[in-house]
Amino acid sequence: MRSTIFFLLVTILFNTGCRKDPPGETVSTQKLILTFDFMIDGNPLQRDTLLYMNEAGNQYMVNEIQYFISDVVLHRPNGDPVLLDAWTAIHYIDSDLPDTRRWEVYDTIPAGSYDSVSFTFGINEAKNQSLMFLNPPESFMFWPEYLGGGYHYMKLNGKWLDTNSVVQPFDFHLGIGQIYAHYPDSIIGFVQNYFTVSLPNSAFSLPANGQQQITIVMNIENWFRNPNTFDFNHWGGDIMQNQEAMRLGCENGHDVFTSIVAKQGSIEQK
Amino acid sequence: MQQRIPSGSLKSTKPGAIISLIFSLLLGFVLLHGCKKEEPSTPEWHATPYEIDIPYGFPTNLNIPEDNPMTVEGVALGRYLFYDGRISGRSDPDSMMSCGTCHIQANSFECGINHPKYFGGFPFGVTGKPTPHVMLPLVNLVWNSSGYLWNGLVSNANSNPAYRNIEDLVWMGIVAEHEMDSDTNLSKQLIQNTSGYPELFYKAFGSETVTVKNMGRAIAQFIRTLISANSRFDKYLRGEVQLTPAEIQGFILFTTEEGADCFHCHGGDGNPLFTTHLFYNNGKDSLFTGPWEDPRDRYHITGDPMDLGAYKATTLRNIAVTGPYMHDGRFATLDEVIEFYSHHLVWSPYIDPLMHHIADNGVQLTPAEKEQLKAFIAALHDEEFLTNPDFGPPDKFPDEE
Repeated sequence: MRSTIFFLLVTILFNTGCRKDPPGETVSTQKLILTFDFMIDGNPLQRDTLLYMNEAGNQYMVNEIQYFISDVVLHRPNGDPVLLDAWTAIHYIDSDLPDTRRWEVYDTIPAGSYDSVSFTFGINEAKNQSLMFLNPPESFMFWPEYLGGGYHYMKLNGKWLDTNSVVQPFDFHLGIGQIYAHYPDSIIGFVQNYFTVSLPNSAFSLPANGQQQITIVMNIENWFRNPNTFDFNHWGGDIMQNQEAMRLGCENGHDVFTSIVAKQGSIEQK
Repeated sequence: MQQRIPSGSLKSTKPGAIISLIFSLLLGFVLLHGCKKEEPSTPEWHATPYEIDIPYGFPTNLNIPEDNPMTVEGVALGRYLFYDGRISGRSDPDSMMSCGTCHIQANSFECGINHPKYFGGFPFGVTGKPTPHVMLPLVNLVWNSSGYLWNGLVSNANSNPAYRNIEDLVWMGIVAEHEMDSDTNLSKQLIQNTSGYPELFYKAFGSETVTVKNMGRAIAQFIRTLISANSRFDKYLRGEVQLTPAEIQGFILFTTEEGADCFHCHGGDGNPLFTTHLFYNNGKDSLFTGPWEDPRDRYHITGDPMDLGAYKATTLRNIAVTGPYMHDGRFATLDEVIEFYSHHLVWSPYIDPLMHHIADNGVQLTPAEKEQLKAFIAALHDEEFLTNPDFGPPDKFPDEE
């Protein structure tokens, strides 16, 4: 009998002696993993080679892409949408930095079925504050105060073959636009160019204590078509101070992103 | 003789009682040790942590290796070593060389075109061999995580652990033919045999034995304290002063694509380091192979053809005193640099995509705009940094105390 009591005591001590978690609380462990990919014309992006033709007939290459998404919302069939970590979850993706292309969301997300995923391309006006990111690489995305401040939504850098058959650089940069009284001086207003992306075919199920991976794919060619045909020969290599060009690009952005929902049990490990 | 177990000691004990005894012992052990933290042993040696104050707008992440935490004693030792020519392993005044021989504080720890020995800002080693490239400044390097030297050879990405951080630049400088051209054994022996140094090494690292590794650690700690963050532009960002109209116009030119378009590589109000520390082919040349090949460009680190002719973007802080400019020092003055970016960019397949003004051979600044841009760049001059006595040569070396 005494041995049984001692056994129980020892067991209790081992199990509770140093535990910090409050007893009786169930911790949800289901996890959402967002990964990010780049494709052109249905194939994985091959950088640094003049392999592609846009709708305007420009032969072009992509050298690097950096962009932000924020306000990721998981929409439920019957229930409130889940906004991932309302203020802090602004995610930076960089084609040169593999770590940025995988986001293990640490929010507590209710298990269950979700209809779709949406997010803000870029950063909304309230959140897009200068010096919000002090550290690289995010800080290198700053959008000059004179041009509206905050951060680039995206830097898509590449080159195209111009009408003289010379390979010219382009910087397809999107962010806050400006309204000029006298271009390029005398700015009298700013335009918030961020927009909401609703990912098609992004319904998923998050099992209790399980995980779900969704790959967000940027289909790069769509930046340059539908509804607007974007011609580098017309717009040139830089558009940060050209709101009309940024407007066309952002309008094209509605179908740039697609998603791939991983089948349960086929989650890629880091 | 085998000792006998007294009869009746265990034999007569019931099995349940034995188990109880074992559990009692276990319980006692658990109660005594289960949650108890180890008592720290009192260290005999203790160095004083050195805290870096992060200036307004600067990154909060610091490039300080885990095995070389900053200490007051380490920084103090590093300052002595930085300026002591005996680190070259030589004691003859004619051939002694220190880091401070070339890295002049008044020139933002670069050579500068006004150097009394290295005419035009082109340094050479003790044997007269010229350095392959001109110098880079030692300023705000605690925020550089993208590699050191013009091509980023010294980087945490280097598979060779001897080429990882500022610490490693010290032994490299000692043995390089175009720098001290010495032997690290001679260096450490001379420092070891110089009175005062063993005691300083003990204070900094807990051992009086001088090692090349600890020499590198100390100098790296000192270099990490070389922070420039008090220029007129810093004060403007902090709301302490107003810039002149010319400086403001220059600032606008600096941070606009239709202006001088400097900010993507050289920072600005959102990146007060005034560099990304990254590598760019900025359109200086069109040929990079054969006789024009530079074995010290970024391509020779990454193997990526897009990095041919690419070099680190330097910080523009104190840039007026850090001539000559570009990796090969081809421009002696800031006027020449601005003229280059304005009208003389050279196209090549490897030019960085950020150089989108290449179609016009440059950003096409007017004479007035060039002056405004210069005015803004002059506002990045930090006289307090260039004259801070904490960063200058010590009044006496340890053996002179």
